[in-house]
Amino acid sequence: MAMTPAPKSKKSSKKPTAGKAPARRTTGDAATLAATVTAFANGKLDARIRPADYADPGLRLIATALAGAGAGIGAQLKEFNDRVKNVSHGVDQAIEALIRLVVKGDLSGELRLGVTDAALTPLIAGIGQVMETLKRFVTEIREAALQLSTSSAEVLAAATQNESSTAAQASAIHETTATMEELKGASHQIAENAQMVAAIAEQTLTGARQGEGSIKLFMQSMEKVRRNAVEVDDAIGKLSKRVERIGTVVEVIDEIADRSDLLALNAALEGAKAGEAGRGFSIVAAEMRRLAENVMESTKEIKNLITEIRESTHAAKEASDGNKREASEGEKLGGAAITSVSGILSGIQETSDAARVIHLATQQQRTATEQVVLSMSEIEEVTRSAQSGSRQATGAASELTKLAERLAELVKRFKID
Amino acid sequence: MTEPVSELLMFQLGARVFATTVRDVVRIGNIADVPRDALVEGTSLGPTFARQRGLVVAAPEGGAESTLVVDQVLGVRTVPESELQPLPAFAAAVLTSGAISGLVLLDEAPTLIVDLPILVRERLAAAPPRPSPPAATA
Repeated sequence: MAMTPAPKSKKSSKKPTAGKAPARRTTGDAATLAATVTAFANGKLDARIRPADYADPGLRLIATALAGAGAGIGAQLKEFNDRVKNVSHGVDQAIEALIRLVVKGDLSGELRLGVTDAALTPLIAGIGQVMETLKRFVTEIREAALQLSTSSAEVLAAATQNESSTAAQASAIHETTATMEELKGASHQIAENAQMVAAIAEQTLTGARQGEGSIKLFMQSMEKVRRNAVEVDDAIGKLSKRVERIGTVVEVIDEIADRSDLLALNAALEGAKAGEAGRGFSIVAAEMRRLAENVMESTKEIKNLITEIRESTHAAKEASDGNKREASEGEKLGGAAITSVSGILSGIQETSDAARVIHLATQQQRTATEQVVLSMSEIEEVTRSAQSGSRQATGAASELTKLAERLAELVKRFKID
Repeated sequence: MTEPVSELLMFQLGARVFATTVRDVVRIGNIADVPRDALVEGTSLGPTFARQRGLVVAAPEGGAESTLVVDQVLGVRTVPESELQPLPAFAAAVLTSGAISGLVLLDEAPTLIVDLPILVRERLAAAPPRPSPPAATA
């Protein structure tokens, strides 16, 4: 606020009236002074206060002081504005230099400004620190980018390997699942077959028991046959003795008949020697001889019959002996068969038990296999998801590798040495 | 008037049938009852087989009886003497034995008539009797 002449009031040239006139002028001057100060305060720095314009001494003193203060403030403001312009120019230069450095990426130099101001020293120092920090950051980022590139390459290789392994694993699991499906079908078939085997073994066991009973009946029959053969043998022995007795009797009869024939022949001979007188005797002798010959014919037939009976009884005896031997052999065979069947029964019983156990085991196996198949399906699903994730990881790793390379390329733009 | 007849005893040796007059036979016996040295067999009539009977022939001049072994005695037949024929001369000349005295046609088959005493004599004169095999008992 400069010392400017006091504004001319329309009433200022008039002479104050007695009493009230000087008071009104003072008030007006004070208002003028206040308005001037207010304008100065509002930024109207060219507002001037002229102390000489104020009649009131007090106002004049105040005006003088305000004028001096205004002049001082104005000078200081001017100096301040000049400095601000200078600093702003330096800051602009610093920002432009910083932008250029950053754009070129050359952090190897130092910031040099064409303006010197103490106020810029912290800025220059701060930018220097920023550059140093950037250098450190770039260095670290470069090392990190290198490590990142290396690590991402390793991650990509691992992800690729993992993807390949996961694919192989998925393929193996798929094949295993298919195999387990086949195994499930086979287990089902085995379970059915085992059940069938168990049923057949049970039937065989029943059949073998029936066979054992039949063999026992057969042995009883063999025993009966053997006893019958012994009885037949005894009967044949008695028959042979009676036939021999009959033969003896027939021999006697034959001898008698032969002698009767001889007597009849001699009678006929004597009758013939006697001529006509012995004719009747010869006729009787001839009749006797016919009778004797008939008897001899009959005894001959009886002898033939006895011979046939002897042959038949002999054959019957041999047959009976054969029956006894066969019956005895049959009993032995039956005993051996019973022993064998007992062993077979034991074996079949064990087989039946084993088949039943196998049946149960195969049922459990079938259940377990079905559970395995279910688990394999779940594993396959999980593996498929893992395979998808692995594929995504590989893609991400590939992308990461590209980004690392890109980052390395970007970092290379910054020159720090 | 009846035709004279001859009583012939028919006997068999082997398959052949012979005839002899009943007067030449003392009796018919069983060879089992006759001592072996009294049996006559192996004559010119042929060998015996069954050896069932023995024709007892009287010995000439009061000697011991001989028993001619035959296979079977068939019986006595009465034959008209007109049917008895002498042995033809040619046959008589051929035969070495003189025991065949003639032949007779029986059942349309010629049957030789044997003179038993001559037959036994020829046999006894020819050689001592050979040992006979065991008599058949059938």
